[in-house]
Amino acid sequence: MTGPGPLIVVEDLWHTYMAGTPFEHHALRGLSLEIRAGEIVGIIGQTGSGKSTLIQYFNGLMRPRRGRVIVAGQNLGARDADIGAVRTCVGLVFQDPEDQVFERLVGDDVAYGPRQLGLPFAEIRERVRWAMETVGLPFDAFKDRYTFRLSGGELRKAALAGVLALRPRVLVLDEPTSGLDPGSREELRARIGEFRARAGLTLVLVSHDMDEVARLCDRLYVLHDGAIAVTGTPREVFRERARLVELGLAPPVPAQVIQRLRERGYPIAGDGLTVDEAARAIATLLGAPA
Amino acid sequence: MSEFELLRNITIGQYLPTGSYLHRLDPRAKILAAIFVTGAVSFTPTLFGNGCLIAGCLAIVWLGRIPLSYALRGLIPAVPFLVFFAMLQLLFFGRSYDPASPVIFEWGWIVVTEAVARLVVISAVRFVELLIVTSVFTLSTRTTELTHGIESLLRPFRRLRVPSHELALVVTIAIRFVPTLALQAERLLKAQASRGGRIGGSRWRFVSRARQMLPVLVPLFAFALKRGEELIVAMESRAYTGGEGRTTYMQFQTSPLDWLAPVAALAFLVAMLSAPFPF
Repeated sequence: MTGPGPLIVVEDLWHTYMAGTPFEHHALRGLSLEIRAGEIVGIIGQTGSGKSTLIQYFNGLMRPRRGRVIVAGQNLGARDADIGAVRTCVGLVFQDPEDQVFERLVGDDVAYGPRQLGLPFAEIRERVRWAMETVGLPFDAFKDRYTFRLSGGELRKAALAGVLALRPRVLVLDEPTSGLDPGSREELRARIGEFRARAGLTLVLVSHDMDEVARLCDRLYVLHDGAIAVTGTPREVFRERARLVELGLAPPVPAQVIQRLRERGYPIAGDGLTVDEAARAIATLLGAPA
Repeated sequence: MSEFELLRNITIGQYLPTGSYLHRLDPRAKILAAIFVTGAVSFTPTLFGNGCLIAGCLAIVWLGRIPLSYALRGLIPAVPFLVFFAMLQLLFFGRSYDPASPVIFEWGWIVVTEAVARLVVISAVRFVELLIVTSVFTLSTRTTELTHGIESLLRPFRRLRVPSHELALVVTIAIRFVPTLALQAERLLKAQASRGGRIGGSRWRFVSRARQMLPVLVPLFAFALKRGEELIVAMESRAYTGGEGRTTYMQFQTSPLDWLAPVAALAFLVAMLSAPFPF
């Protein structure tokens, strides 16, 4: 994890929406963070805390006017920054990405990005195959399906594949599993967990779902009112229970169960960050073999 | 500035609560006043008259307690077109508009006459005036007020089978959808740019530019249709059956002061029509 320096560095970043109008609103207030190669970083916070604004700086959709953002060695504040290079390095998947699917056939839609890069046909095909297999849509079975015939979960995966086909080094996902049925959600979550191993990706995960980030992430940033309020490993962050409640966030459900048991006087060990961890702790408490 | 912030420059359909006289005005009175002022703008072809109109518009902005820069913000996206058409008019329209007018400048095909120069200036000023009037109107009127106002004004025409309620509803929905669609277009532009889309490109290669817009336009249409359907279901499930026998929770409380605005506007219109402006 000690690579040749961080992939994304944000220093004292400010962002103002509708600047110069009566609706002016500061979405980011002097925010700093860094994303290193190979990490899975979670960004959590209440609605309106600035998460969605922040990630638009990661691939140069927004350019800093106050503060510094450096992505893959490019200073986004500089006029001559190579935004094309930044966008191929950092893939950004918006919330409800199925809205952006526009081709009739799944394969064509996934191929949109690589085609825009002007790659040779064989290379495009290879990338589409790889991207679809990585998200869990078998290439031969799905490439000629109509996009409007796909289920919600499949469409979400197709949209994800459309970004993966650009072969980014960093993948930024905004609420990747929201609005899906529990089955698809669980499956997609497992897939995302494998991205780092399968595709060598660095991941940034924006989420409301504490159980999700607790399970997947190495490190968390908690945003509040446009700045970082708490940071650390999930274990460290979710131990700051009082602080989280103050910020309008609740620790993952298993952690809450363990905490309540402890409050009732049961001598239970651990944090119960995931369901498995909590189950083991409870099993130990009951004296059963884990 | 971000290349993607579309909503910034759209002032239509936005309400800016400043609580001014214009904001508190009975919407019916306000609609009538706006129509009269628009009429005054439309029927004043003189430089002098437009000077008076600009003064009138500034007075309206002041009455609404709206920052002038904000009322003019809607002008920004229109500027390239305005300049383009003004240039066309100025350079190639000279002979056909008023052949008798003295020529200021002539070079081959290009003939600039005094009459055309005046026409161009007046058209530009008129556009700005219209924009100010509509901006101030929408910035000071909630869409519900607008609907009820239109409906109420059209009610006398019910006998002639004018569907006043339905017309008002159509207007409201259309206005309400403008910011929604702009926001969605912005989202789609960003999403496609994030997966390598190069949208925009050369300003002058219209065909390739239009084709590049497809990844935004197709989903935007799909979104609009979907939102439309959702709206239908939402209305049906609330047992919406149209205007017949419908009551409203919004009751207009009109004071004589409210009717001062349309009367003043009408007086302004009459004055503009009858004033013997020298040029």
